[in-house]
Amino acid sequence: MIDIVLQDIWSPIIFILVGILVSLIAYMFYLMGNPDYKRTKYKGDPFISGNRPPTDLKELHVGGDNVYWGFTRALRKYLDPLVEGHTGIVNDYVYWFVVTLAVVLVFLYIM
Amino acid sequence: MNVDLLTQSPVFVLAIPLLFAFLTPLANKVSKELRNAVFLIGLLLTTLFVSLMAYEVYTMGSWIYVFGAEQPTTGLTTQSFFRITFLADGFSVLAALTIIITALGAGIYSFGHMKESNGLGKFYTLFLLTLAGVNGMVLTSDLFNLFVWFEVTSIASCGLIAYHNDRGESVEAALKYMIISVIAGLLLLFSIGFFYGEYGVLNYFLIRDSMTGSLIDILAIGMVMVILAMKASSVPMHMWAPDAYSEAPEPITPFIAITSLGSLFVLFRLLFFVFRGAVETSAIGSILIILGVLSMFIGVSMALKQSDLKRLIAYLSVSQIGYMMMAVGVGLATLGTGDYGIFGARAMEGGLFHMINDGVYKALLFLSAGGIVYVADTRDLNKLGGLAHHMPYTTFFFIIGGLSIAGIPPLSGFSSKLLIYKSVYLYNPVLAIIALVVSIVTLALIGKIFFNAFLGPDQGVGKKIPRSMILAMSILTIVVVLFSLFPNYVVAEIVVPAIEGLGVGA
Repeated sequence: MIDIVLQDIWSPIIFILVGILVSLIAYMFYLMGNPDYKRTKYKGDPFISGNRPPTDLKELHVGGDNVYWGFTRALRKYLDPLVEGHTGIVNDYVYWFVVTLAVVLVFLYIM
Repeated sequence: MNVDLLTQSPVFVLAIPLLFAFLTPLANKVSKELRNAVFLIGLLLTTLFVSLMAYEVYTMGSWIYVFGAEQPTTGLTTQSFFRITFLADGFSVLAALTIIITALGAGIYSFGHMKESNGLGKFYTLFLLTLAGVNGMVLTSDLFNLFVWFEVTSIASCGLIAYHNDRGESVEAALKYMIISVIAGLLLLFSIGFFYGEYGVLNYFLIRDSMTGSLIDILAIGMVMVILAMKASSVPMHMWAPDAYSEAPEPITPFIAITSLGSLFVLFRLLFFVFRGAVETSAIGSILIILGVLSMFIGVSMALKQSDLKRLIAYLSVSQIGYMMMAVGVGLATLGTGDYGIFGARAMEGGLFHMINDGVYKALLFLSAGGIVYVADTRDLNKLGGLAHHMPYTTFFFIIGGLSIAGIPPLSGFSSKLLIYKSVYLYNPVLAIIALVVSIVTLALIGKIFFNAFLGPDQGVGKKIPRSMILAMSILTIVVVLFSLFPNYVVAEIVVPAIEGLGVGA
């Protein structure tokens, strides 16, 4: 039998204590690192498929439409009809309400 | 039970915001400071009476408040045929707590965010009327009274959505909301008419005891169910929600979302408490599960395509409604079977815990988004960036709210989702897998907002966030952190009494 009483399966306090312990261990490893390393703001140029990085820093920021572009592009056959279904026309909102009401009533009647 | 302030608290939870709603425009005639003070006092007093009601319910047990009776707490009598009754129990308290925490955050936030706006006397009046309306919806145990509060909430919310009436989009969103609300309100009245015509009573208890499961009953139950599911923004009747959420003033967005949650509370109350004996619970449970899964999946899918910050969070909000419907649907579908004791009751715990969690972290997310709009003056994720340089506190609040909605441990969203995953898995593993996938995509979308709005090169902003906005977000963050640290306490002391309030075992 799977136990699904919350207090038996999840304790945030223990999770946080373990997190602190792991952080301390990680910090110990950090202290064992190269002490001669010099901190600098320059971390190297960003790699943009071999293109030269833009001089204006603002152009480096990827905009909202481009984040997960490949993911949404791959799912376009699913997402595009979904977006087209959201017409913004209030008649369609009422249409979906009527359709849902009809389906629910038929379902309840049959059951 | 003696008649004292504690036992009278349900009526004050309603009367205080109503009274102060009409005092606010009068105070506005005197000065802005007095208006703000009156509004804040109204909010704080409502919070006090919700707390008193919660204290009384948790220490003394639940009671029925009969309006106009000699002894308001003597319970249901023959007088109750003609009188309005309120039900003060664990479920009402869960709903009222969720509403008041959000209202308090949104109210304090509006002092800073709306200070340069005109017509604030009306704004605060509509705010308090919405609060009174949604409180009335979740407290009442009379069907016609439910209709009255449903209408009060709809009309006041509509005014709030259209508050920026110089913007065509706001007026359009309000018009759509109004059309949807009017259709919902009329059909609700129609279905109440069915019950009254058939049984001659309106009280939840009396209808429950009278129902025979006739064809008229099934018709009325189906209508009430779909109306409340639409107001809760369940897919496929969710399309009004992104319009309304994104066009309402920023402090109001979480408040409009809480009216949706209020409709969901009423739906669960009616399904469990009133309609349970008249229809097959497995059938209603299955409908809730189907609507829930659709809401989760389509909500998060639509969020993937959004580049408007508030619309994106609005679709995430639709998706979160799906978790609650699915979990409570599993509880309903297993009711009366051996499975209820094994995992149905745990699914209920997860679903109701997720409701209070969602109310709070969603408010935090919407208010953080409001902070972004206040500072950057745009909601377009293509134009935002680098705000963490200027808004360290808001960045922190957004991280807390975002990780919580995505169900990342140790935050509160994880606790409720864990209960949902594990219990729903035993009902049907496919449902749990869908819920997990939706959570992963939600995390990805929170990452998208975080990356687009807060990270990247400093783009320079002109405004600083007022202290009241920081204070409001801090209050909500503290509540999220408390729920995160003590989830077992919340489940045992708030969620389990709520399930018992629905008339089923926890």
